[in-house]
Amino acid sequence: MTHAEFIYPSYALTIAGMVGVLAWSWLAMRRAEAAAAKAKRR
Amino acid sequence: MSRLKPKHQRLVLLCAALVALGGASTLALTALGDKATYFYAPSDVFAHAPEPGTAIRLGGLVERGSVAKQPDGLTIAFRVTDNAREVPVRYTGIVPDLFREGQGVITEGRFGPGGVFMADTVLAKHDEKYMPPEVAGSLHKVGRVG
Amino acid sequence: MHRFANPARFLRIARVCTPLLTLSGLVLAAVGLWIGLFASPPDYQQGDSVRIMYVHVPAAWLASGGYLGLAISSGVALVWRHPLAGIAARAIAPVGALFTAICLVTGSLWGKPTWGTYWVWDARLTSMLVLLFLYIGYLALASAEDERHGGDVTLERGAAILAIVGVVNLPIIKFSVEWWNTLHQGPSITLTKSTIDPAMLLPLLTSLAGFSLLFGGIVLMRMRAALARQMVEARGRRLAEAYA
Repeated sequence: MTHAEFIYPSYALTIAGMVGVLAWSWLAMRRAEAAAAKAKRR
Repeated sequence: MSRLKPKHQRLVLLCAALVALGGASTLALTALGDKATYFYAPSDVFAHAPEPGTAIRLGGLVERGSVAKQPDGLTIAFRVTDNAREVPVRYTGIVPDLFREGQGVITEGRFGPGGVFMADTVLAKHDEKYMPPEVAGSLHKVGRVG
Repeated sequence: MHRFANPARFLRIARVCTPLLTLSGLVLAAVGLWIGLFASPPDYQQGDSVRIMYVHVPAAWLASGGYLGLAISSGVALVWRHPLAGIAARAIAPVGALFTAICLVTGSLWGKPTWGTYWVWDARLTSMLVLLFLYIGYLALASAEDERHGGDVTLERGAAILAIVGVVNLPIIKFSVEWWNTLHQGPSITLTKSTIDPAMLLPLLTSLAGFSLLFGGIVLMRMRAALARQMVEARGRRLAEAYA
C-alpha cells in the first residue's frame, strides 16, 4: 500500500475517536440510569 | 406585538435575528470578495497585473508538453494555464507526486524579469474525480479524460 | 406536567432506538472501512491515499451536520424552552467537536501526500477550523451557564445564541470551494451526479451511513444520561425540601 504512513494513522485516529466517545457515552449512560433507578426505589 | 404569547414573541425575534444575521454575513462576504481567494488564475494576473516583486499565488493547470527540466537537473520550467491565458513558471526543488502535465497546480512566488513567475513552492491541486487506474486508462483510450 | 410527559415518551423511544442505531452503525461502519481499506481500488492519481476519504468525508459530514443539529436544538431551546432541546444540544456538541477535529487531522494527513502540504489557509480549511472553534466556544459557554443555573438547561441563553450565530459558517464551508479559488477540490457528490467511481462510492456511502447511525446512537446515549442525572437531582431536591 502506498502512503501507508498517512492512511493507517487516519484510520487509527478515526476508529479510536469513535470507539472512545462511544464507550464514554455508554458508560456514562449506564452509570446515570443505574443511579436514577436506585433513587426511584428509595 | 403585545398580544403575542411570549413563545411567539421569541419566535418572531429569532426569525428577525436570523434575517439580520443572513443580511450582515452576505454584506461581509461581498465586501471580502476575492480577498479570501487562495490563488489567482493566469487570466486574473493579466487582468490585474500584480506589483513586480510582490508574492502571490498562481494556480491553474500544468500545460501539456510544457514541462522542461533545466540543465542543472533541479530546476523545472513549465507553463500554468487556465485554458485562456498562460504564464511561464520556473521552480527549483522537489515537486509533489501529483505534479504532472494536465493536472492542477498552485505555485507561490513572484514575477521576475521577462514575465517569468519564479515559484518558491509548488502544490498539486487535486480535482473532484476519483476512479481506479483501469477505468482512467479506458477513459483515456476513448478520449473522455484529458 | 407536559414538561415531564414529553421526556418520558422520548425515553421510551430512545430505549428502543439506542441499541438499534448503535449496532447497525457499528456493522455498517466496520464493513465500510474494511472495504475502504482492503477491498477497494486505489485512485488513478492519488494511489492508495484515496482511502483516507472513507474516514475524512464521514467526519466532515458529521462535523457540519452535527452543527446544524446543535443550532436547531438551540433555536428550539430558546423559543420553546423545551428541556429536551437544551439536552440535545449539549449531547451533540462534544461529539460534533470530536468529528471536526478528526476531519481536520485526516484531511491534513491526506493533504501531505496529495497536495504536498499538511495545511494551507484556504477558505475551506480555514472555515472548517472556525467550525472547531465554534464548537469549543459553545462547550465552554454551555458548561459555564450550567454551573450558574445549577444544571437547568431551560435557563441558558448565551451558548444557544452562539450556536445560532455560528450557523452562518455552514454555507461558507459548503460553498467556499465554489465562491473562491481554494486548494481544496470542489464537491464530488451533488444531488444530481457523482464524479466518484462506483467502486469507491460503495465504501464511502457505507461508512457514511454507519458513522451517521453511530452518531445518532451516541447522541441518544448522552441524552438519556443527562435525563437520568436530572431526575436524580430533582428527586434529591424534593427530598431535601420535604425534610426541611
